[in-house]
Amino acid sequence: MTDMITIALSKGRLADQAIDLLEASGYDCSAAREKSRRLILEDEKAGLRFIMAKPADVPTYVEYGAADIGVVGKDTLLEEGRQLYEVIDLGFGACRMCVCGPASLKGKLDQIPNKRVASKYPNITRSYFEGTKHESVEIIKLNGSVELAPLIGLAEVIVDIVESGRTLRENGLDVLEVIADISARVIVNRVSMKMKAQSIMPMLDALRCQLAKQKEQEEADTVNIQGEERAAT
Amino acid sequence: MGNYRFHTPDGVSDMLPDDCRTKRDLEQKLRTLFSLNGYKEIETPGIEFFDVYASGDFVSQENLYKLGDQEGRILSLRYDGTVPVARLAATLFKDTPPPLRFSYIENMYRFRESGGGRQREFCQAGVELLGISSTQADAEVIALAISSALEIGLTDLQISIGQAEFFRGLMEAWEIPQEDAEEISKHIDQKDTVALEKAADRYGLTASAKETLLLIPALFGTYDTLDAFAERVESPRARAALQNVREILNILDDYGYTKYVSVDLGMLRSLDYYTGMIFKGFTYEVGFPIISGGRYDKVVSVFGRDLAAVGFSLSLNLCMTALRRQDKEFLSLHVDTIIGYSNEPGMRRLALSMAGDLREEGLVALVDCEGMNEDDLSHFAEKRGIDQMVFLNGGVCDCEEEEK
Repeated sequence: MTDMITIALSKGRLADQAIDLLEASGYDCSAAREKSRRLILEDEKAGLRFIMAKPADVPTYVEYGAADIGVVGKDTLLEEGRQLYEVIDLGFGACRMCVCGPASLKGKLDQIPNKRVASKYPNITRSYFEGTKHESVEIIKLNGSVELAPLIGLAEVIVDIVESGRTLRENGLDVLEVIADISARVIVNRVSMKMKAQSIMPMLDALRCQLAKQKEQEEADTVNIQGEERAAT
Repeated sequence: MGNYRFHTPDGVSDMLPDDCRTKRDLEQKLRTLFSLNGYKEIETPGIEFFDVYASGDFVSQENLYKLGDQEGRILSLRYDGTVPVARLAATLFKDTPPPLRFSYIENMYRFRESGGGRQREFCQAGVELLGISSTQADAEVIALAISSALEIGLTDLQISIGQAEFFRGLMEAWEIPQEDAEEISKHIDQKDTVALEKAADRYGLTASAKETLLLIPALFGTYDTLDAFAERVESPRARAALQNVREILNILDDYGYTKYVSVDLGMLRSLDYYTGMIFKGFTYEVGFPIISGGRYDKVVSVFGRDLAAVGFSLSLNLCMTALRRQDKEFLSLHVDTIIGYSNEPGMRRLALSMAGDLREEGLVALVDCEGMNEDDLSHFAEKRGIDQMVFLNGGVCDCEEEEK
């Protein structure tokens, strides 16, 4: 018996990359490629149902079992702190969760008592400062353009994801401490992993296999490029 | 003021007639099952002193519903069935020689996010077997958990068995300090191999130890899983734990329950609580385990008596959600007969005694309280789907039976 698998995807680039990978792994995702505004895309023959959700909601759908599998950034997982299986690091969507602020604060962060920290990620901020650094901070929850906060004196530092660091630099800010490396993860509901193991385990294996293949390919390409460069000189 | 008068607080809900009738029926089935297995039912207070839960550090205070008494002491609503039973076993039953077998069917209160069938007030049915640390006791409790689920109609059932000592043995052998072990157990429990790999490097594990560690999250299956893995394990403590799981599987096979059981050595929740085997039960259509249990030999000692303990609890509300979503039939109260009567003398007495006779036979009988005439009563019975209507008017017996 094969079960219908429901996959929750984070709307946007992450969803596209996840679909590419699934397809390369041998799963028919034409349903998910449909350009439409529908939020549930189902392909009964392939046994797959896709739901397009806001990234922050993906862990919720999966924890409650409304979706069996989800693809979501590690940042969202850390922030939501849900009871899930986090089974594969997909590698894409890579960035870092950092404490950022004026470069002048580098190395002096611990000297400011009861810092005000602005962030879109209040839970990550709390667990980092209270749990890891054993420090009490005042957390100011913002919803975007967090870099503004230290510039206009709303907070001393911010906690945010840093990809290239360009926004930070253009605003005169710098990475002060790195909290965690972020990338896209495959998550699985704890009950689905047991009850639908027959369908889910092969899918996870196929994804892992495909990832390994892609990595190998990349490495081979790098070697080739290096070889070509050497040949050119 | 009064803005919330039409509402119920988050995480609690009214239970409507069909749900309520079904729940009572399931409760009764479980109550009978527990009794037949020698587990004596008890009731503990809905309100305990906060210290009862706080002393053992088993429950984080954020999850307790707290209130105060007139002397300023902190109280807490009943959070689970195990801790109050442990308190009882160490106090009121302190002179009763083990083994002790208790059962309970009660509402629990947990301050947490609700949804997906999970509530803040919910009913748990469970048992505690105190004073026996044998593998047979472990298996008895798991078997009773399986019987419970089957008894209430959940036939698509998966029980996963893990072992806390297995993990502790490995950590001890690899000399990983407790705080770090806790961190690692969380990664394993989440099957997060990325974080595990980093942890292995951080603690400088040998290549073979690292390989073993990375295998744990995927360690689920049957005997074969255990056997293939046992060779890798050198720690005697971890080996004993694996042996315990293997024996449990053997005993459960004697119960005829093999098809419901699998092993998951990566299941490592609440490690500060469990001291031996751990198990969880799953079914289709709910995203959370419906059964949770294991061995917790240190819980009673918090109350000053050294007593081994093993038990499980089954969440009735989650089970009902699963039953409903699996299209299992729910009960509802069906009225068999409605009796009306005219103003003729003696008719009321006759109606009441007739209803009494029917009820004695186990039929549901209503007596009209609105003074309806025969036509109205007949109409009413039809509208409400009542099988039989009787109208007593003093004349010759005038019954009208409606074909259903």
